[in-house]
Amino acid sequence: MIKFISTRFLYGFLVLFGALIVVFFLFNVLPGDPVAMMAGQRTDVSTREAITRELGLDQPLPVQLGYYLNDLSPVSIHKNTEANEKNYEYKKLFTVNDKVVVVKYPYLRRSFQTNKKVSEIIFENLEGTFWLAFAAMLFATVFGILFGMMASVKPNSLLDHSTISLSVLGISAPPFVMGALIAMVFGYYLSDYTGLNTSGQLWEDDLTGRKLVLKNLILPAFTLGLRPLAIIIQLTRSSMLDVLSQDYIRTARAKGLRYYKIILKHALKNALNPVITAVSGWLASLMAGAFFIEYIFNWKGIGSVTIDAVYKLDFPVVMGTTLFVALVFIVINICVDILYAAIDPRVRLH
Amino acid sequence: MSANGGKKDEFLLDVRNLKTYFKSEDNIVKAVDDVSFQLKRGETLGIVGESGSGKSVTALSIMKLVPNPIGQIVGGSILFNSPDKGIIDLTKISEREMQHERGNEISMIFQEPMTSLNPVYTCGDQVMEAILLHQKLSKKEARQKTIELFEKAKLPRPSDIFDAYPHQISGGQKQRVMIAMAMSCNPSVLIADEPTTALDVTVQSRILELMSQLRDENNMSIIFITHDLGVIAEIADRVMVMYHGKVVESGTTYDIFNNPQHPYTKGLLACRPRLDMKLRVLPVVSDFMEKDESGNIVEKKDHKFSSVGHALLYNFVSEDEIKDRQDDLKKKEPHLKVKDLQTYFPISKGLFGKVTDYVKAVDNVSFDVYPGETLGLVGESGCGKTTLGRTILRLIEPTGGDIYFEGKSIKDVQGEDLRKLRKDMQIIFQDPYSSLNPRMTVGEAIIEPMRVNGVLDSDFQRRRRAVELLETVSLSSKQFERYPHEFSGGQRQRICIARALALNPKFIICDESVSALDVSVQAQVLNLLNKLKEDFNFTSIFISHDLSVVKFMSDRILVMNKGKIEEIGYAEEIYNHPQSEYTKKLINSIPKGDLAAIRNAMLKRSQGR
Repeated sequence: MIKFISTRFLYGFLVLFGALIVVFFLFNVLPGDPVAMMAGQRTDVSTREAITRELGLDQPLPVQLGYYLNDLSPVSIHKNTEANEKNYEYKKLFTVNDKVVVVKYPYLRRSFQTNKKVSEIIFENLEGTFWLAFAAMLFATVFGILFGMMASVKPNSLLDHSTISLSVLGISAPPFVMGALIAMVFGYYLSDYTGLNTSGQLWEDDLTGRKLVLKNLILPAFTLGLRPLAIIIQLTRSSMLDVLSQDYIRTARAKGLRYYKIILKHALKNALNPVITAVSGWLASLMAGAFFIEYIFNWKGIGSVTIDAVYKLDFPVVMGTTLFVALVFIVINICVDILYAAIDPRVRLH
Repeated sequence: MSANGGKKDEFLLDVRNLKTYFKSEDNIVKAVDDVSFQLKRGETLGIVGESGSGKSVTALSIMKLVPNPIGQIVGGSILFNSPDKGIIDLTKISEREMQHERGNEISMIFQEPMTSLNPVYTCGDQVMEAILLHQKLSKKEARQKTIELFEKAKLPRPSDIFDAYPHQISGGQKQRVMIAMAMSCNPSVLIADEPTTALDVTVQSRILELMSQLRDENNMSIIFITHDLGVIAEIADRVMVMYHGKVVESGTTYDIFNNPQHPYTKGLLACRPRLDMKLRVLPVVSDFMEKDESGNIVEKKDHKFSSVGHALLYNFVSEDEIKDRQDDLKKKEPHLKVKDLQTYFPISKGLFGKVTDYVKAVDNVSFDVYPGETLGLVGESGCGKTTLGRTILRLIEPTGGDIYFEGKSIKDVQGEDLRKLRKDMQIIFQDPYSSLNPRMTVGEAIIEPMRVNGVLDSDFQRRRRAVELLETVSLSSKQFERYPHEFSGGQRQRICIARALALNPKFIICDESVSALDVSVQAQVLNLLNKLKEDFNFTSIFISHDLSVVKFMSDRILVMNKGKIEEIGYAEEIYNHPQSEYTKKLINSIPKGDLAAIRNAMLKRSQGR
């Protein structure tokens, strides 16, 4: 099992590295000049050159990549200066001439625009995205499995047909349309009855300080969860129907077990594997930023920060958030693999 | 708990005029059509019939497990003499009451042990579940009882098997777990639906032994369903023959084997390939029966054979003829030479998939096949026979050794040359259901290999040839544009044969080509293959797990075990004077169905009771 997990981590690391390389070079072929964005239109050539040199943008691309990797690596080499020590917050291991080998947390650099540490930016916005994605997925998973199961128990019944038709609607409606509609209807027209707003954050400041406003989560999470919900319903249904036609379900019936027990104990556990894959995939991609939803409901999260940074050619922020999202993907997928093995003993073989 | 005791001759089950119909959108299939029978305590009733005869549906009807709402019991009654409730009609009681009987008083084991156990629970859990459901025992006691049951079912290391998942144990062991589960509440009636069909013969004979032993110990009744009359002879006291949802004949096992009355029963008995004599052509069911104008089954009027014995005598090949043929064959140079052939599959482990060991599927195998000969390749599942067949065709790459076809080595032939070689060497696979592309018409399927290999000049000619081939395999030219799903299993296998013949190959490998078919259909396909062998004059390797089928088809037999050759020799020699222990075991495990054995078994049973 340990070997299984460590293999997964190794593969995950390779994926992370691949993502880094791709984003790095993609960003560098983008049209536009980050220095101009930082310094404004009117600055003279020498100032711009100074900024360019300071950011290391005058170096050839492979060297830039090398520096970036060095910043990222937990074990790295830097010039032994006090400024560096303050910046990287490293622990010195040993010094070689004027260089020092150090251990540190991966350094994601500072935003070109705000000079804030990228790691800080990510952590500030992470909470919003996380709770939004989590709430959406929880909603989608619980109701998706429930409705899917109900539909599969009586195939071709009225309940089955109406569930399926509604879920097709859920899959085909684009999130930005649904988002705008839901925000307008429930957050504006019906706001008096629902008590919900079109926009708002999880934490809101008032006179007494920060306050948790859970109701602000409801509309964005619901909107975000609609599509996964529809897909989970369909997946659970078809997977359950498949399992219910298996021989071992007949064996369970031949034992004299009651129907609900067969559904809950013998069928559901077998039917959940494809559902878990879907859930994890969605969770990962929702974590990666629900751009439209965050934008429509004015929700503070990773997605909105990333978009903003791309507009402003804020290289460190784009790199940082991308790497972070990739990391989230990988970790979630590893968790799912482990979960698989826990549910289905046959997976442990490989 | 209740099966013990009770009067000997009282009935346990009395099925009267049972009718189970399946409804589809445009028609009604009468799967079970007016079936009546009785089952006495301690008795074993065998139900025989081909697929679609309604034997399994009869069993599912008794369990009330007929797939709803497509199938329904529409008439008749199933009276069950319940030890604690008296006589009840199973067709009338509620689902809730039925759940009390299922697994408790009437239990069932199924054909496919591989898929009949839930893959995500341990074997022990699944057996324990049935015990906890029907008996008032604590979890600890139930666990103890489960392990005892596993011991009774002769499972090795019962406490390990308790914690093992189904995929970790073999097919035979899974069926033993199923038997332990079915026996867990001491049922009065055990219904076994083809319990040994998916298993090897040696495993089959051990499972049959176990079942009769448990039956006698617990004074239980068994309904044993199978398509194989040989198996029936081993275990059943009485036999009921079913055909198209109806019972055509029933009687004691001895009577059915000794003096079958119904033409269908006669056909069924005659069409089994026999080990004790060499037949030219297998008799088929249609030699004995036909349908009259009103659709009733009657004895064929201008029948060739009046009885089973007559049919065998008519086809008997004398020893001299066999000898002549054997001498003839070896005069020529071998058509195919296999030398020290090895096919290993790597077992990889570790971070980078480092190869730590090999599965030696084919391990240093050498043999020759002479022109016009049929070499039978027999062995149990996992012995490497299929891998050997596929390696010869280069569908799997050999690890070592050499293969010579018509004197030339074909081990390293690549690209265009390999394709040309494939034209001369064809294969007919086991499963006619999955080896035809469902979206391609039958005609297209036959034309395709001709087109790929540039046989004949135009598609027009190829079409004509395909129609000819369809007629050769006894299908009609009208079926050219049909799709595979419109055909039965036997017909599909004929199509596969026609497809293989389209290239006029010199060499054909039949890989378990009749294993998925009913005995009666199997006889037809085997006869067809034999006839084609003469007409097209090809050499062949016939792979099967069934020694009687192999013996009927082959001149020489090669017995394989664990990737190695156990024995090779003339078919008659192998059967009459097996040299290796393994071959002897294999031959002894085959259900013979001969009269003396049945009579002895019945005598023993009647004394025992």
